Amino acid sequence: MARPIVIGLEVHLQLVTKTKLFCPCSTDYIGHKPNTNVCPICLAVPGTLPLLNDGAVALACRMGLGLHCEIQNYSTFGRKNYFYADLAKAYQITQYELPVATGGYLDIECDGQSKRVRIHHLHLEEDAGKLVHPTADGRLTGAAYSLVDYNRGGVPLTEVVSEPDMSSPAEAKEYVMKLRQLARYLDVSDGEMESGSLRVDANISLSKDDGSLGTKVEIKNMNSLKALERALEYEISRQNKTLDSGGRIVQETRLWDDAEGVTRSMRNKETASDYRYYPEMDLAPIIISDAEIEGYRDAMPELPWEKRERFAESFGLSGEEVSILTEQKDLAAYYEALVASGAPKARAANWVRMEVLRVLNELGQDIAAFRVRPAVLADLVTRVEKKELSSTIGKEILDVLAREDLTLEEAVKRSGAQVGRMTGDALGELIKRIISEQPDVVQTIKSGQDKKGGKLKFLQGLVMKEARGQADPQEAAGLLSKFLAG
Amino acid sequence: MKMTVDQEITLKMAKAAQLRVEPENVEKMMNSINDILDFCALVGDLDCEGVPDFMWKMKKLPSRRPDAPEDWPDRELFESAAPVYDGEFFKTPRIIAEG
Repeated sequence: MARPIVIGLEVHLQLVTKTKLFCPCSTDYIGHKPNTNVCPICLAVPGTLPLLNDGAVALACRMGLGLHCEIQNYSTFGRKNYFYADLAKAYQITQYELPVATGGYLDIECDGQSKRVRIHHLHLEEDAGKLVHPTADGRLTGAAYSLVDYNRGGVPLTEVVSEPDMSSPAEAKEYVMKLRQLARYLDVSDGEMESGSLRVDANISLSKDDGSLGTKVEIKNMNSLKALERALEYEISRQNKTLDSGGRIVQETRLWDDAEGVTRSMRNKETASDYRYYPEMDLAPIIISDAEIEGYRDAMPELPWEKRERFAESFGLSGEEVSILTEQKDLAAYYEALVASGAPKARAANWVRMEVLRVLNELGQDIAAFRVRPAVLADLVTRVEKKELSSTIGKEILDVLAREDLTLEEAVKRSGAQVGRMTGDALGELIKRIISEQPDVVQTIKSGQDKKGGKLKFLQGLVMKEARGQADPQEAAGLLSKFLAG
Repeated sequence: MKMTVDQEITLKMAKAAQLRVEPENVEKMMNSINDILDFCALVGDLDCEGVPDFMWKMKKLPSRRPDAPEDWPDRELFESAAPVYDGEFFKTPRIIAEG
């Protein structure tokens, strides 16, 4: 019988504050020279004192409220001691005994089933700097010394600690995706795993035969959702094999090696006493009044699941359409603006799902950088709706507008499409020209050799192509038959 | 009440602090800790009646600051104070082993 899988996740989110958690250094450090975003406070020069960033408290509270947590009126910081030099103080300031938010939950959907993952707590802490080991492979083994860049040291993080409520790698992945979506909706974090602004540590164990919890192993170093899923799958297999062969699981931290597709033992798992936590006496407790909490609650934006519900009701869209349109807050806002600018709801949903996302994907852009404003796309969609432009031409025009600074009129002109439909004399002239340019084909048709109608279809295709989609196919077919008969 | 530690507690404390203490140094360490405890007892005997709590100062200080960036103008202060700074990185002793 398969052993039940028990997974709990610790997710670190880098908060999008302008400054570090305890000093006014900028958090905009990506691409900057080492040790340029530093000051005596984050370098722990003796005599300096930390002072808490109000913006970080606000973002942690917002995330806590989004996760249905209880925001604490009184929370404190502690010191977590360890031996790496990636923080100059030789300890990390973190919340340990009394975190800023406790309890809560996040509902996820996996394989058509909904599941509630309970949140144990959410706390604030500072990020560490970056250690560089000057060895050929960048690993510390064999390095004679280490170099430290403290630009990231002190950047605010909030750590969301779940209860061990997930029972498959797919559920763990879904939980992280949902948490990331929430963080982005709330403008708490950009949630980019690749750049490290969202980091996941997973605790996984296999239950024993008597149903009690097995030994927990922590996995680190997973830099993508795919890596998280693969690492958990590998670990489940490894633990099952170990237990099947009569071995025992060691409580330890293991690092995911993405290239090799394995986890490797990093160290025996620390216990809290190894970190020798003690209260941070340089910082006053965080006191958050009920009025302040209410203020945060009142300022909460619409949450992803609330938006999904409203989209389904207000726009009459299918579950899949709603899911795609509300995946990103900015995309949902774009769709709403498109409809507000006069584009029909269902047609606008199709254009955003099929065309806007396609173009964004081709350009590697986010919707925020999309050149085509909703009012312009609404105008384009409306023209296609009124059959002033064919949908093919409409898509081509969207491509042009997304790449160049042109007005809609300029793009229409550039596309070669005439504004208005090609009918009557204009269409007749075009067909006559095509007939004159294809004497062999015309001869085949007139001599009755085009039994399957392939040659006629060929001519019809040429007409539609030359008309840039502006001709009505039925009218074009009628005129073509008339001229061929004449 | 004055507290003291014996050799057994001294060894427990050393273990909790991840310190290796050679057997010949246990007594020396125990005596050092007891000296500190003696001093604490001395401080504890002071009459603090009516002396205001030190925490009042902290309570009056702002406990949070606005999220507004500021550059530190005097880099020389910490560059010169660092044991080894190569103009880009701070250099630290090698890490013996992970964990």
